[in-house]
Amino acid sequence: MIYLDHASATPVSKKVLERMLPYFSEKFFNPSAPYLSAKRVREDYESAKQTIANLVGAKGNDLVITSGATEANALAFTAVAPDNLETEQNLKNTLKSPKVLVLETEHASVLENAKKYAWDTIKVTKTGLIDLFDLKKKLSPEVELVSVSLANNELGTIQPLSEIAQILKEERLSRLKSGNPHQLLLHSDASQGLALLDINVSRLGVDLLTLNSAKISGPKGVGALYVGHGVRLNPLVLGGGQERNLRSGTENIPGVIGFAAACEQLKNPASLAKKYKKLSDILKSELENSKIPPFFLGDKKSKLSNFLPLCFPGLDAERIIYKLEEREIYLSTGAACAASKGKPSHVLRAIGLSPEEIAGSLRISLGVLNTEENVREAGKALVEVVNHECERISRS
Amino acid sequence: MMKNCAKTATQESSAQKTLVRENSGASKAQKTVFLGMSGGVDSSVSAILLKNAGYKVVGCYMKNWSKDLPGMKCPWAEDLADAKRVATKLDLDFLIFDFEKAYKEKVVDYMIAEFKSGRTPNPDIMCNEEIKFKLFFEEALARGADFIATGHYAKSENGLLKLAKDENKDQTYFLYRISKEALKKTIFPLSDMKKPEVKAFAKENGLSNAYKKESMGVCFVGDVGMKDFLREYIDIKPGEIREIETEKVLGTHDGTVFYTLGQRHGLYVGGGLPYYVVKKDLEKNIVYVSNNLNEKNLWSKEIELENIFLRDAIEKTEQQGNNKKLDNNQESKSTEQASSPIKIRIRHRAPLIPAIFIPSESRVILQEEIKVPASGQSIVFYSGDVCLGGGIVK
Repeated sequence: MIYLDHASATPVSKKVLERMLPYFSEKFFNPSAPYLSAKRVREDYESAKQTIANLVGAKGNDLVITSGATEANALAFTAVAPDNLETEQNLKNTLKSPKVLVLETEHASVLENAKKYAWDTIKVTKTGLIDLFDLKKKLSPEVELVSVSLANNELGTIQPLSEIAQILKEERLSRLKSGNPHQLLLHSDASQGLALLDINVSRLGVDLLTLNSAKISGPKGVGALYVGHGVRLNPLVLGGGQERNLRSGTENIPGVIGFAAACEQLKNPASLAKKYKKLSDILKSELENSKIPPFFLGDKKSKLSNFLPLCFPGLDAERIIYKLEEREIYLSTGAACAASKGKPSHVLRAIGLSPEEIAGSLRISLGVLNTEENVREAGKALVEVVNHECERISRS
Repeated sequence: MMKNCAKTATQESSAQKTLVRENSGASKAQKTVFLGMSGGVDSSVSAILLKNAGYKVVGCYMKNWSKDLPGMKCPWAEDLADAKRVATKLDLDFLIFDFEKAYKEKVVDYMIAEFKSGRTPNPDIMCNEEIKFKLFFEEALARGADFIATGHYAKSENGLLKLAKDENKDQTYFLYRISKEALKKTIFPLSDMKKPEVKAFAKENGLSNAYKKESMGVCFVGDVGMKDFLREYIDIKPGEIREIETEKVLGTHDGTVFYTLGQRHGLYVGGGLPYYVVKKDLEKNIVYVSNNLNEKNLWSKEIELENIFLRDAIEKTEQQGNNKKLDNNQESKSTEQASSPIKIRIRHRAPLIPAIFIPSESRVILQEEIKVPASGQSIVFYSGDVCLGGGIVK
């Protein structure tokens, strides 16, 4: 098997799994139970949370553990009062209902939550970068939340979060002067950038940050939301009051232990980037042999080094995937969840690709399972399949 | 080349034979077959058979329905992916036919109207008649097909619709209303194969993992699916289930439309002998049941039909069967014959039972009483292995 879809899922490493296993069996205790053995589990859990928080330069307590990035994104949006919440206070101040702004290329888990509020999208450039002018233009006085992912999940385009944060900071200042009582928060889904980017919350300037274990060789079904000081959320899951009352339910101990172990295993981002750059170059040079030259999507300067989104215009990417699947080579079109719905990618549409180009687009995402050899082999296979498809089309 | 152009319609009508004939790999111009593919084993094996027989095969997916219902999902996107995966593996061109609008009008609306009037329609039969062997057929021909093909277990021979070799899987019940024109240009590659052979063939050809589980025709058909589906379209009120003999209330129903005459399961009237639905009173919203298997509403020797569709096969077979009786000049009137001894099938996979068809009365008369099929269901006629057509229970 040659796996080229690390943006969809990553294998849990042996070491991570070994760290998790005891918490399924001998250390199975409910961390809220009163005896010492349970208390030890609580300590391990809190310590694991701190390990995860270290990654973003925060305290363990600043994190709310969730069932994954989707839930973390949903929880982030609860920072905005629902638009139908016409409190007396709001009416007295003739406060307009709050609005949210999201990048048009956001993941469905952000877009669908935005739709619960008055909302608008911020445009992207042809490389998928945020159009900062559009952000400024749309940053009206009632906007309370701006959500921009750290790196896009289909293109790997990295957004200039600190610049965005600066714009928001200026807006906050002007609101303070004008007496506009609306809060203004910056949320970012950092699911895709964890291993390769600086995700220090202070440097990024975010108030809310979504983290995902599944993309860094941690277990699936675990995520976290960093919640900045002073941000008030409304819990989605009510009950026993775990996670500072923001996410009830007995803690997912093995999951969080695994997430922390995966964080500890992260390599130096610079050397990782170097590795992926080399692998990408090998792939690209192999692809020069294909009858239809691909063009590469995303932003050349501001892109995750493990992403290689590309398009073979005129070809059907799904057929390429099925052909490669026969050789146990796995890659995908766009986001796995969007593709399974049979809808063309809204991300690729947003960067201006034609329907035909969208149909010919593939996402290669490198990761822990890739070597120079297997990437070269995959490149050769991809060329064979592309050339084969070209022949089939010319026959019919 | 010349040979091909000179081929007459009758020659082409024996599409089934063509499957074998072209196997010789003669240097004739390659014929194009548009094959309906679902990603299931039957249509996948059909693709290989056609390909091996020398046809240029175009895999076709018919998108008939894409509405997600609350709590359940019509897996059309996955079906499409499955079909495309198989087509790709076999190196076939692949086309998507979007029949959603027509399907809604011709099949779904019909189905809802039937249920609303208390009947039990068969949407698969309607889908074959209106979509697969009409719209798909017409569009396929317009796009360059010489033939269409499907993975149905049935046989198309000399313009006749015949039983498949695998009588257990035979699907002619669902096909009795398909147009004669379409049938003439239809290939059923599985006509002479039994299901286990099909499965083995798929495995031999490396398709064992490619295809998904048995496809269901209409995705939302199935007990749970149908209920949720109908709720979306029909105002359904719960009501009483009463015993017909005593008027005693035995339980409640979710809505009369969900119940079919003769139905035994899903009544939840509890314990003892099984109860059967024997009558539905739509106005009073009551479902009547009985645990008396001899209840008169359950049994009949006669079935009144409407919307009868006779294939021209009925003439031919009658000629074959009743050569002596027939006057040469009478051919065209044959369907007006007083009565015809035939065999009928009252549901898919039900045994063939002898009956007399009286065209003037739109009625079939059986030798023995049978449990009455619900109105809206189809009764399909056969003579030997030929499907003669059929009608819908009034």
